[in-house]
Amino acid sequence: MASYRARLAKYVILQLAGAIVIVFWLIPLYAMLIDGFKTNFEATVTSVFQPPVRPTLSAYIAVWNSMKRPLINSLIVVVPVTLLSGILGTMGAYFFYVLGEKHPIVGNTGFSVISLATFLPVESAFLPLYLFEYSSHMVNTYWGLMFAYLLFYIPTAALLMSIFMPVVPRYLIEAARIDEADHWTIFWKVVFPLIVPGFLSTLIFVFVMSWNNFFLPLILTTTPSMRMVPVEERYFTGGYGTLYNETYAAAVLASIVPLAVFIVLGRYFIRGLAALGGGAKGV
Amino acid sequence: MASVRTENLKKIFKKGKSEVHAVDGITLTIPDGQAFGVLGPSGHGKTTFLRLVAGLEVPTDGYIYFDDDLVSAPGRIVVEPEHRGIAMVFQLWALYPNMTVYDNIAFPLRNAGVPKSEVDKRVREIAEELGLTRVLNHYPREISGGQMQRTALARALVKNPRVLLLDEPFSNLDAAIRDGARALVRRIQRERKLTTIIVSHDPADIFSIAEVAGVIINGKLVQVAPPTEIYDSPANETVARLGGDINVIEVKASDGIIYISNSVKLPSPIPKLEGKFRLGIRPEDLVLSDSAEAPGMTLVGRVKVKVSSYVAGIFRTLVSPIDDDSIEILVNTNGYVEPGSEKNLLVRLPKVKVFSEKGESLTLPPRS
Repeated sequence: MASYRARLAKYVILQLAGAIVIVFWLIPLYAMLIDGFKTNFEATVTSVFQPPVRPTLSAYIAVWNSMKRPLINSLIVVVPVTLLSGILGTMGAYFFYVLGEKHPIVGNTGFSVISLATFLPVESAFLPLYLFEYSSHMVNTYWGLMFAYLLFYIPTAALLMSIFMPVVPRYLIEAARIDEADHWTIFWKVVFPLIVPGFLSTLIFVFVMSWNNFFLPLILTTTPSMRMVPVEERYFTGGYGTLYNETYAAAVLASIVPLAVFIVLGRYFIRGLAALGGGAKGV
Repeated sequence: MASVRTENLKKIFKKGKSEVHAVDGITLTIPDGQAFGVLGPSGHGKTTFLRLVAGLEVPTDGYIYFDDDLVSAPGRIVVEPEHRGIAMVFQLWALYPNMTVYDNIAFPLRNAGVPKSEVDKRVREIAEELGLTRVLNHYPREISGGQMQRTALARALVKNPRVLLLDEPFSNLDAAIRDGARALVRRIQRERKLTTIIVSHDPADIFSIAEVAGVIINGKLVQVAPPTEIYDSPANETVARLGGDINVIEVKASDGIIYISNSVKLPSPIPKLEGKFRLGIRPEDLVLSDSAEAPGMTLVGRVKVKVSSYVAGIFRTLVSPIDDDSIEILVNTNGYVEPGSEKNLLVRLPKVKVFSEKGESLTLPPRS
């Protein structure tokens, strides 16, 4: 039994360490937030950590016009992609969960292939993907973008959901089979309601990943009207000079959607992760 | 309703390079309408046997028939569990946590495409019978263990199954309500003449519900008989211990007399017994007394009381023969007995069991 002092010291050290990490991680966010409210001159000559003398919205107003369209484009592509990857990935995870029971070798092999697809860098599939989309006239279309995103994010979602799947005890699925339920019913009525927290975690993860994806929209869109947020943001660092205050403002606008998602649904994300630590019990 | 028949049923699990023979050649017929109990130690293949019957496991070898329909064959499920017309109560009840009690019970009916009004009628009927009417709108986490168990039972019964499978259905109940739950299952089984297989490591479950019981040890069926017979005439020492508490004492026999110690001895139930044996006597077949006589009992000798205690409703007294302290015998007594006192030990001779040194029973009645 550690003494009260020793426990207090341990507690203080842990809290302090946590605080340092948090501050460290918040520094870029802080810089991004305050510098968007500076004039370009002030942003150039003052330190990035120094608050603006006279906060102004001019950078945001200037940026808003060019960011409007990309924000809409990103939402149009990313929201359906996230939902579809989430649902199809969960179905895939259920498939392998059930398959793995009777045919562990087939199940594990299939699962390894999926994992491989997840860990493959997007860039490695760039050429065949571009040629395929080009020949099927999918470049510069929402469909073309969604297709490419789904290729990469369905496996990611399936991989994540397979980690959550053991939350559903096998005997529940067996009970449902004995109760004459088909797989469609078992999935929607028994399995899905139990893995909603894991599903939400996966949604958040896929949403943030696909929102921030830079490479796919870079190669699959060429007309300015089809640009997505990460690509548009790049155009603020111009070839002749950089408008720092506008770059910061654009960065804030670009991160505001994933930030909002995380703030609203973040507790499910944390709960899902915590459940994984506890052997995925009681999600 | 249906009869269940297995032929040389085997299930081998591969764990790395070693093989586990969970079910090892079980041939058995359970007639239509019978309550059949499967008794055995934990990890000896009882649950695997039940899962094979349910179709949740594929047999490595052997056949399973429901009536005359082949449902499982070597390496193959012929009829999937959802088409076998079975119902199962799982050890942990397997209630759907996201559904109310009502929806849990209605689930199998809805899956079978029963019309809505009929579903409602049948759910309310079975809920009434099992005393669940007041909790129909509750979720499983909001009700007691007994209610959860009855919900699982209601869900199993509501679809009028051909065969009811019960996997340790009482082991997660509080001891105080177990007997009530057993009585309920027994009444329903008898009333509906439902072919039932109940698996348990607890002999009380089997004795209270089963008409015939089979004992599975190491995946093999070692004895099939009515539960009382398994209790009174166990095929071997392991079965005897499964049935309940029993003293097993190493003894020598000569000239038809069995010697527990030099002074404590009894006439052998088997004539001309010679050599080393293991004697099995249940604590309730022994009596401690100051007198040398009691109706139906035979005096075997003087013993010294070591300790007396009160366990689960009865007094238990541990005694040793006065001339051999190393032998210990457990006796059920009517009250507390002072340690250190000396008493006469009497035994109910017809209940004495004699096992060979390997543990096989030598006192089995001839099977009809």
